[in-house]
Amino acid sequence: MNAFENAAPADGLTRRRGLLVPALILLLVFAALPALLAGFDKGYFYQIANLALIFVLLSASMHLVTGVAGLLHLGHAAFYGVGAYTAALLTSKLGLGFTVTLPLSGLVAALVAFLVALPTMRLVSIYFAVATLAIGQMLYLVMLNWVDFTKGPNGVIVSKGFELFGFSLSGRLGAYYTVAAVVTLSVIAIGRLSHSYYGNALRSIREDDQCADAMGVSTVRLKMEAFTLSAFFAGIAGSLWAHMTGYISPGDFKFSESILILAMVVVGGLGSLPGAVIGALLLILLPEGLRALGDFRNIMVGLVMFLSILLLPKGLLGEVSALRLVRRQLGAAWRNTGPANGKGEGIGWR
Amino acid sequence: MTHLLEIRNVSRRFGGVQAVGDVTAHVNEGELVGLIGPNGAGKTTLFNLISGFTPLSGGTVAFAGRTISGLKPNQVARLGISRTFQNLRVFPNMSVFDNVSVGAVGALPQGAFGALFGGLHRSGRDRSAEISRRTWEALEAVGLTHVAAELAANLPYGQRKYLEIARALAMRPRFLILDEPAAGLNDTETRDLAAFIKRLHGQGLTVMLVEHDMTLVMGICQRILVLASGRKIADGTPDAIRTDAAVLEAYLGVDE
Amino acid sequence: MFDPYYLQQLAIGLSLGMTYALMAIGFTLIFGVLNVVNFAHGEIYTLGAFAGLVLISATAPPIVAVILGALAIGALAGFSLERIAFKPFRRFTDEASLKSRAMRESTLLSSLAVSIVVREALEIVFGSQMRSVPFEYLINTPVRVGPVILVTGDFIIFGVAAAMLIGLQYLLTRTRVGLAIRAVSNNPLGAKYVGIDTDRTIITTFVVGSMMGAAAGILMGLYYGAVFPAMGFTPGIKAFVAMVMGGLSSIPGAVICALILGISESMATTFVSSGWSDMVAYGFLILTLIFFPNGLFGARRERV
Ligand SMILES: Nc1ncnc2c1ncn2[C@@H]1O[C@H](COP(=O)(O)OP(=O)(O)OP(=O)(O)O)[C@@H](O)[C@H]1O
Ligand SMILES: [Mg+2]
Repeated sequence: MNAFENAAPADGLTRRRGLLVPALILLLVFAALPALLAGFDKGYFYQIANLALIFVLLSASMHLVTGVAGLLHLGHAAFYGVGAYTAALLTSKLGLGFTVTLPLSGLVAALVAFLVALPTMRLVSIYFAVATLAIGQMLYLVMLNWVDFTKGPNGVIVSKGFELFGFSLSGRLGAYYTVAAVVTLSVIAIGRLSHSYYGNALRSIREDDQCADAMGVSTVRLKMEAFTLSAFFAGIAGSLWAHMTGYISPGDFKFSESILILAMVVVGGLGSLPGAVIGALLLILLPEGLRALGDFRNIMVGLVMFLSILLLPKGLLGEVSALRLVRRQLGAAWRNTGPANGKGEGIGWR
Repeated sequence: MTHLLEIRNVSRRFGGVQAVGDVTAHVNEGELVGLIGPNGAGKTTLFNLISGFTPLSGGTVAFAGRTISGLKPNQVARLGISRTFQNLRVFPNMSVFDNVSVGAVGALPQGAFGALFGGLHRSGRDRSAEISRRTWEALEAVGLTHVAAELAANLPYGQRKYLEIARALAMRPRFLILDEPAAGLNDTETRDLAAFIKRLHGQGLTVMLVEHDMTLVMGICQRILVLASGRKIADGTPDAIRTDAAVLEAYLGVDE
Repeated sequence: MFDPYYLQQLAIGLSLGMTYALMAIGFTLIFGVLNVVNFAHGEIYTLGAFAGLVLISATAPPIVAVILGALAIGALAGFSLERIAFKPFRRFTDEASLKSRAMRESTLLSSLAVSIVVREALEIVFGSQMRSVPFEYLINTPVRVGPVILVTGDFIIFGVAAAMLIGLQYLLTRTRVGLAIRAVSNNPLGAKYVGIDTDRTIITTFVVGSMMGAAAGILMGLYYGAVFPAMGFTPGIKAFVAMVMGGLSSIPGAVICALILGISESMATTFVSSGWSDMVAYGFLILTLIFFPNGLFGARRERV
C-alpha cells in the first residue's frame, strides 16, 4: 500500500486521490444497491444489507482503537450492546424516537467507555487486552442479569423503527437509507480521525508508546480518546441495530461478537480503514452467500482469521502485521536495545 | 542569571546500581555541550532523567527557570526539550512524513475535534498548515524530503538516524538532546553529521549530545561534561578535558 | 462465622476453587512457564470432556478408562494445537527465532482463531445444546463431613489437583524434561546452545499442559453432568484470572488464587443471584491488574 494514502492531509502530501472512488462507492451504496434491493424486494436481502452496513461501522470503529491506536480490544461488542440497550430502553421506557436515541446511544456508550477506561488505560500489552475482555464480559453480565432494568435474557422489544424528527423512515427502503446514511457519515468521520495528524499521533502510540510520549504526545489521554470515540461509534451502530431489528437480547453482544469484529479488522488489515470495511463485508456476506452449506458462519470467521494471520500477516490492506502488533503488545516489556532490525517492514523478530 | 537547564544533585539508582549519583550541571542558552563517559557511565540515564523517562531518586531538574522533575515525558517535551534515542526508535510502519509529523503534532496538538472539523474553520486549517509546515521544514533540514512518502522501516540506517533527528526538530525545541547520534555511522557520515549539528547550533538551538566518537565531540562541542560511574568527574572546554587527569584515568581505567 | 450455612458455602467455594485450580494448573504451565498466550486452552478442556462423553456413550468403559481416553485426546490436541497455531509462526523467525521469544508473542490471535474453529466444529458435530452424562458416571454422591455436605467429586477433584500440582512440581524441578522446560522458559537461545531440543521441549510442555486441561474437562463433565461446546470459555477465563492473580508464572500461586476466587464467588452468591457470580472473577482480574501488577504474591518482570 502506498504510504501516500496514509499520509496526513498535509498540503504537500495530500491524499486527494481524485473523487472517483468515493463517488463510485456512494453511487453503489445509495443508488445501485437500493435499486437492486428494490428489484428483488425480499426482506431478507434488506436485512443482510443493513447488517453488513452495521458491521462495517463496528469494524471501522474498532479500526480506530485497534488498527490505528494499536490497542487490542477484546470487548468491543459490549459497547455496541450499551448503545443498543440505550436505544431500546429509551424507546420502550420513555417512548423516545430514533432521532433522539441515535446520538444518546453513542454518548452513553462513550461515557461508559470513558469510565471503565479511566483505571485501565495505563495497562499495556496483553493485560490491556484481557482487561477489555473482562470489561466487555462485565457489561454483558449486566445486560444479562439486571433483569429489572434490561429484562435480562428475554431481551427488549424496540417498538419504533427509524424516523427523522418525526418523519417516518420505516419502510424497507427507508430503513436501508437511514442505516446507509448514518454508517457512511460515521465512516467518513472515522476516516477523518484516522487520516489526520491526530491519527498520526494515535499511530505513533501503536508503534512505540514511550517514544511517542517523548515527542509530546499525551499517550494516556489519546488512548482514552481513541477508546471512547470507538465506543461512541459502536454505540451508534447499536442504536441502528436496535431500531432495525426491533428486538435485542444480550446474546447479540457476547464475546464471540467482539471476536467477530476483531477478525474483520485483522482480516482487512490493521491500520487500514478500507481494509476494515472490506473485512466486515467479507465476514458478513461470505457466510451468508454460503448459507446453503449450513450454518458455518462462525467457523468461517475462525478459519478466515487464522488463514489471514498465517498467510497475510498484514491483512488485505494493512499497515501493520497483526503479528507485529501483538508482538509489540507483548514485547513492550522487553524491547530490545540493539539497533533496529534493518530488514524492511516485514516480519523479522526482534 | 539562570541557566537554560539546571541539574542539581540528581541521582538515580537501579536496585544496587547507582546509575547517576549526585550530578550537578547546567547548560546555557545557545550552548553546544557534549556529555561523554565510558560505557555504563550513566549518560543515557541522565538524559532519561532530564526528559522525564525515568523518575529521579533525588535532586531536581529545572528548565528555563521552571522545575521539570516529576513531569511526564510529554509534558517535558512540550516545554521544549526534545530528544533522540540511543537505540534508534522510529515508527517503522509509518511514512517518513508521518513520523516527523508526530513531532510537530506533539508540540502543537491537534485534537479529535480538530481532526473532524478542523477543515471547516480558519484556526483549524491554520493549525494543520502549521503542522505541515514544521514537518516539511524539519524534513528539509535533514534532507529527507525526497523520501517523505517512504515507509520509515524501508530507509537505510543512516537515513533513519536523520529521520529521528527530524522528528525531534519538528517539535521546534529550545533544547535538543542527542543520544549517540553517530553510533553506527562511518567516517564520512560522521563528518556530515558533525557539520549538521554545528549548523543547527549555528541557528541558535541549544544542543547536548552524548557521543563516544571523540573527534566529533572534541571538534564541535564548546563544553564537555564527563561522567564516570554515575558521577560527574569533569566539566570544561575540550582542551581542558583532553588533559584532565581524572578523565584520563576514568577512560584508561575502564579501557584496560 | 461458624454458622453451618457459611461453612457449607465455604465448602462449596473450596470445591469450586479446586475446579478452577484444575484448569489453572495446565494453563499456567503453558502460559506462565512457557510464556505463550494460549487462548485455546478452554477448548482443550472441552475436547477432553467430549472425548470422555463419546467414549462413555460408545462403549461404557470403566471410569478410569474414560479419564485415560480424555488424557490421550488432550495430549493429541495439545500436540496438534502447538503444530497448527504456534509452530507456523516460528517459521518467520530464522536463526534469531528463539532469542526473539517469537512463539510467545505471535500467537494470541492464532490460538484465538483456532479456539473458534474448534468450538464451532464441536457445535456442528454435537450441537450447541448441553449433553448430559449418563447417571452412573456422575461423581456427585453426597458425602457428609461434619456439618457440611460434599460430594465424591470434590474429593476426586481435590485428589487430582493435588496430584497434578505435586507431579508438576516434581516434573519441573526434579527431572530432565522439567529442567529443559525451565531452561527454555528462561532463555530459549541459551537452552538451544547447550543442546536442548527446544522444539521438543515446547511440544512436551503443550502436551503435558493440555493433558491437564483435558483431564479437568472430563472431571468437570462428570461432576456437573453436562457437556457442551462452549463449556471451556468460563473456566478458561477463571484460570486466566487465577494465573494473573498468582503472579503469572507461579503454579502454586495460581492454585491458591483459584481457591480464593472460588470461595469469593460462592460467598458472593450469598448476597446476589448466581448469575452475577462471574462478576467476581472479572472484578478480581481488573483490580489485580490495576493494584497488584505483580500478582498477589509473585514478582513479575513485565510492565503491565
Ligand atoms: N532501566 C534500568 N534498569 C536497571 N539498570 C539500568 C537501567 N538503565 C540503566 N541501568 C544501569 O545504569 C548504568 C548506566 O547506564 P546508562 O545506559 O545510563 O549508561 P551509558 O552511559 O548511556 O552507557 P552507554 O555508553 O553504553 O550507552 C548501567 O550500569 C546500566 O546497567
Ligand atoms: Mg547510553
